[in-house]
Amino acid sequence: MIVCVAVVGQQNNPLYIQSFTNGDDTLKFHYIVHCSLDVIDEKVSNPKKLGVSLNETFLGLLYPTEDYKVFGYLSNTKIKFILVTTDQDLRDADVRNIFRRFHAAYVDAASNPFHVPGKRITSPAFAERVSSIVKSFGAAPVP
Amino acid sequence: MAREVAESCIDSINLELVHTYATRLHPTKPELAARRIEAIGFQVGLQLAERYTKERPRFGDHLEAIKFICKDFWAEVFKKQIDNLKTNHRGVFVLQDNRFRWLTRFSLDAPTSGNGTSSSEANQANSARASQAAGQYLYFPCGLIRGALTNFGVPCAVSAEVSALPACSFIVRIKG
Repeated sequence: MIVCVAVVGQQNNPLYIQSFTNGDDTLKFHYIVHCSLDVIDEKVSNPKKLGVSLNETFLGLLYPTEDYKVFGYLSNTKIKFILVTTDQDLRDADVRNIFRRFHAAYVDAASNPFHVPGKRITSPAFAERVSSIVKSFGAAPVP
Repeated sequence: MAREVAESCIDSINLELVHTYATRLHPTKPELAARRIEAIGFQVGLQLAERYTKERPRFGDHLEAIKFICKDFWAEVFKKQIDNLKTNHRGVFVLQDNRFRWLTRFSLDAPTSGNGTSSSEANQANSARASQAAGQYLYFPCGLIRGALTNFGVPCAVSAEVSALPACSFIVRIKG
């Protein structure tokens, strides 16, 4: 299950962050997302050492915590997408697919002429689309 | 689902954009009008850059970003690629388009005759005037390039030159 998604801008400014749990743990997810930004920076600045294939947008697993796995995705325009999940065994292809859909949703939201580049995404349509992606992922049959 | 727009609409909106800013809103300040139009292009460039790079690996350096502009970006927006790319390897790139789509519909005035000058001179003066007039229709594409490159993390300044219609070149100067 995806518990949190975040979109982070070029200057590491938060554009969108949303958790999908009932509990009062938003702060914890903020913290996790914040930590993962350092891992992204590291992966991007020395790609060879960490074995990321050349300049791919999907960055793979950023780091595992006790309860969560954190995945990252970096677009050409230095927009970071971060995904926190509770699933322990996920296929890379599935996560990649999710990120691709997130990115598509972001592109559409950013193309809104009323969206100010670099500011938080306030569009309810975007929020709805993201939550439907998250729900569809949770509902997918586990093999 | 991809939605499309008729090309004639884009042509008309560019004409109208220049007309509105240059003659109606800021008739006495051509500089300001240019900046305003360029700013609109900038935002469109930002957005298009995000969209057109959705499915590609990240760029390694500035040259790759410029090449992307010349090939894929130009093909998406103007249905052709840039014809010639020159660089001095110190941050200046010249993108030359021999048949820039937005300038292909321009027609020159008939040369004025009977005022004493020879017809070739009149022709020359005429095309110089046309080039100058065409220049203001390139503020938007300049902004487009700058917006896209800025979004790729390449801060730059872009200017345009019209030599002989419908050819033009865009000069990209990378900052810093």
